[in-house]
Amino acid sequence: MSKMTGLEQSQYHPLVGVPMATLKPKQVRKNIHLTLWEKLYVFEILRGLFVTGKHFFINLVGFVLPPAGKKRKVFTVYYPEEKVTLPAAYRGRPVLVAGANGAEKCVACGLCEKMCPAKAISIVGGERAGGERYPVSYTLDMARCVYCGYCEEVCPKEAIVMSSEYQGLAQRDRAILRYSKDQLLRSEESVKGRLDYIRRIYSKCSY
Amino acid sequence: MVADLIESIAKIVFVFSMNVGFFAPVLGWVERKQSALMQDRIGANRADILGFTAIGLFHSLADALKVLAKEDFIPAGANKFFHTVAPFICLVPAISTFAVVPFGGRYELFGHQVNLVIADLDVGILFVFALASLATYGVVLAGWSSRSNWSLLGGLRASAQMLSYEVAMGLTIIGVIMVFGSLRLTEIGALQENFFHWGIFLQPLGFVLFFTCAIAENKRVPFDIPEAESELVAGYFTEYSGLKFVMFWMAEFLEIVTISGIVTTLFFGAWHLPFVTDQMLLSWLQFAGANGAAFLAMLVNVATFFAKVIFFIWLQMSIRWTLPRFRYDQIMRLCWKMLLPLALVNILITGLVVLVL
Repeated sequence: MSKMTGLEQSQYHPLVGVPMATLKPKQVRKNIHLTLWEKLYVFEILRGLFVTGKHFFINLVGFVLPPAGKKRKVFTVYYPEEKVTLPAAYRGRPVLVAGANGAEKCVACGLCEKMCPAKAISIVGGERAGGERYPVSYTLDMARCVYCGYCEEVCPKEAIVMSSEYQGLAQRDRAILRYSKDQLLRSEESVKGRLDYIRRIYSKCSY
Repeated sequence: MVADLIESIAKIVFVFSMNVGFFAPVLGWVERKQSALMQDRIGANRADILGFTAIGLFHSLADALKVLAKEDFIPAGANKFFHTVAPFICLVPAISTFAVVPFGGRYELFGHQVNLVIADLDVGILFVFALASLATYGVVLAGWSSRSNWSLLGGLRASAQMLSYEVAMGLTIIGVIMVFGSLRLTEIGALQENFFHWGIFLQPLGFVLFFTCAIAENKRVPFDIPEAESELVAGYFTEYSGLKFVMFWMAEFLEIVTISGIVTTLFFGAWHLPFVTDQMLLSWLQFAGANGAAFLAMLVNVATFFAKVIFFIWLQMSIRWTLPRFRYDQIMRLCWKMLLPLALVNILITGLVVLVL
């Protein structure tokens, strides 16, 4: 088992794979026999209270009179006003990528439809005048999507990717969550980070 | 006679408004904010009136409004009478226990003796225990009458825990009573005028035991097994909503205040400032005349008492947000195999010392 883990790790690009050292479980104290001092318990409680009390007073001062030049000691994000910058690995709702001419890259091969474990995608394929295939309609039911990213992984044309969009996905009417092709279309620049990321990781996997 | 009546009414109004009007809503805010600060968070800060948030204080107001608008739900098959009456049985002892806790000494104001305690019972500490036992009924009835397994388990756990810790608590307090020679809380308070006669110096072990038992009586973390959120949803008050739910919540907060008051009275010099006797305080305040000095001394003592109470509230909140929950068997073992024998040892040692000195 451990050999397997090592192999898998070495296959990944260093930027993608998690360094092995951080995967090691932390050293846990196996000796559960407490010393007399710990058994007395009151002093250990005082030690714990000292730790939490330190945080309490540091933050109390930090709120009322923040020392000059010190950054805020709180990691809270005030959500509607502040937003976190999501990493490229974040799987938001899937979007269709538009090519250079503004039309979707999708060739309606139906792989994503076939692959989708939640059966959220339904495609009606068609043919353009030049004989090029394209999706006449591409419907993505976000009420069913499980954000697994298989559609993106299986797509031969990089035509569907997981974007970092996560808003508007809670609605009172399920019909609203059934996205059409026009609603799904995004320009290539807007999903560039994700495209770079999937090229990096999926190129390392051999099926 | 009229003066007595006015004095009593003034004291009752003061204590009631202090507890129900000030401590209960503010403690809701304190619990949120203090836990936030201890965990490097910001805490509730969104409720505002005209864009003014008052560091989250309006959340208590918003809670009150929300609760008033909520449906009062009684589950099917529940015993309606006991389900309705249980929160009252819980809340009434929590409010009325403070009646015997003195929040100041005796003062001579305009020829009238003012004694800053609502009911100066000569069995004050026993009254506290009696009411603490009554609160058990509220919890057990709430758990039983809801007809829900979560509630029933919570009620059962609460009954076992509260009864067990009452025994240890009662034995702990005997040491204090032996040292001070009185059950009257005003007398115990008055005897702690000298800093080195504070209960904490005479009964250090007693303080630790009493504080532990008191937190367990109040069913707060680390002894919150009756309401254990991760196991029993909310324990004995799972099936409550609206105002009745808030009654349990208020009872818990008022018990925090009462415990702090009793701990202050028994162990931390009640209304006395350290190293300052009543005579010294009065002589320092002589510039205001005899009545003025008494009045100012009264204010200083009441402020001192409530400062101590607020400190112990802070300490209880800190303990609540520092320690993890005990397992059920650990709670019982702590009570019967550690606190109870220690309380007995405490009585023995105290008895020997009192006998020798």
